[in-house]
Amino acid sequence: MRDLTRRGFVTKSAGAVAGMTAVGALAAQQAEADAVVGREPVVAYVSDPGKGEISVMTGDREVTVHDRGLAARIVRAGG
Amino acid sequence: MSSHREAPAISKDPVADNTDTYAFVSPDEPGNVTIICNYLPLEAPFGGPNFFEFGDDVRYEVHIDNDADGRPDITYEFEFETEVRNPNTFLYNTGPIDSIASTNWNRRQFYSVTRVEQGKRRVLARHLACPPCNIGPASTPHYEKLAATAVHHIGRGHSVFAGQRLEGFYVDLGAIFDLGDLRPFQSLHLAGMAKGPGVNATNDFSVHSIALKVPRHELTSDGSTPTNPMAQRAVIGVWAAASRRRALIREARTGRSREAGSWVQVSRLGNPLFNEVIVPIGEKDRWNSLSAADDGQFLKYVQRPELQGLLPVLYPVVFPKLAALNAPRADLVAVLLTGIPSGIVPGFQNYTGSHHADQLRLNMAIPPTKNPKALGLIGGDAAGFPNGRRVFDDVVTVELRAIAGATYPLVDKSYTPDAAASLVTDGLGANSTRYLSHFPYLGTPHSGYQTKPLAA
Repeated sequence: MRDLTRRGFVTKSAGAVAGMTAVGALAAQQAEADAVVGREPVVAYVSDPGKGEISVMTGDREVTVHDRGLAARIVRAGG
Repeated sequence: MSSHREAPAISKDPVADNTDTYAFVSPDEPGNVTIICNYLPLEAPFGGPNFFEFGDDVRYEVHIDNDADGRPDITYEFEFETEVRNPNTFLYNTGPIDSIASTNWNRRQFYSVTRVEQGKRRVLARHLACPPCNIGPASTPHYEKLAATAVHHIGRGHSVFAGQRLEGFYVDLGAIFDLGDLRPFQSLHLAGMAKGPGVNATNDFSVHSIALKVPRHELTSDGSTPTNPMAQRAVIGVWAAASRRRALIREARTGRSREAGSWVQVSRLGNPLFNEVIVPIGEKDRWNSLSAADDGQFLKYVQRPELQGLLPVLYPVVFPKLAALNAPRADLVAVLLTGIPSGIVPGFQNYTGSHHADQLRLNMAIPPTKNPKALGLIGGDAAGFPNGRRVFDDVVTVELRAIAGATYPLVDKSYTPDAAASLVTDGLGANSTRYLSHFPYLGTPHSGYQTKPLAA
């Protein structure tokens, strides 16, 4: 697993993020959404909301992202 | 089997595998209906040290349709929670378990019961104790008495039991799965099989049962107690299911996992053998995920069951009339998907309308019979299968004979079945195992100590 900065995460995993309701703000960007058609499903697991730790999994790959703001938005989206 | 390991996906998830469902007017308390749903197929009684238990991560469900639309109007949900007294021993019990509160019992399980009706959820009971598994004379010395204390009366006339029971479904699996070796025609089988008595493949195995006894008026659409067998409101549709959370996350290096998300159905069972024998293998997993209300899409498999075509091939001289029967099997559609309308069997109906749904259809106004026949309705006993299903009903023989054409004259009086249709059987009967005469009706499980592996 690799730790990524938020900028790196958004760049490298934009397709994954766009696939999730929880990060709908990014998904709203149509160009990014178009770029991910046909990608495998992506699972985001907020393992530690307090630390902003998010595991993003697709296929047999997983990256861990540290982003308190993104984690907080996902948690809020979960109700 | 009835629905043991009947589909590829659920065969790998025994804790959620709904193996049998029963629904009948309680013979010793005819004001009540008993519904039993079994899970965990083929438990070897000596399967320790982690003996069998329900899944804390599974929601077990009993559904009742009382307005004939194929959808549940009442659902009972059962959710379990395991408690360990001492995590520093490998033992299930550290001494004799002489009560369900015994401090010698290390790994105990409790459950809640919730009734859902018209969108309203009402918790009927919490933290009800399951009995332990039957281990042996040193660990569970008075098992039958001990298990009886795990019958809980939870108000409004409801009683529940959840725990290990002796398997009540009997079947000669070894012969049936060996290309349909059936009695009494073994020597006429294409492969020339040897003659021999039926062997109960489930002998001595256990299951985990959820049994629920409910006053009949709690299950009708208008709260009345049904008395007229010809009234539609006397009939309920019953099926059971199991669901898991949509997401499972396994934590690395902790041995723990977490579940999240909505409940997703993974197992379902109304009529015995429906998914097992009627639904083709490519559709079985999907069938398990659907509601009974969606079963219209499987109508073609009931109208033209694969086994009907196989019997004349496997037994070339035995089923000539069945081989010539080309019409859709409206009799099987009635038995399995709609219920039997009035006017076909005198004084009987369990019709729930033209909506197709795999349910056990129980006419609650028909009282229990004093001398029940294991062949149920085709044996002249209207209190038995397919009017619901009692624990001892010989559903394998009934369904074999129905598919062989014995029930087709119900919808076409000009059809004369093959003589073999009323003789075919797997060679077993209700004396193949043991039952209780009272709730929860399924027998006391064998202990691990007393069981000889595969001593059928």
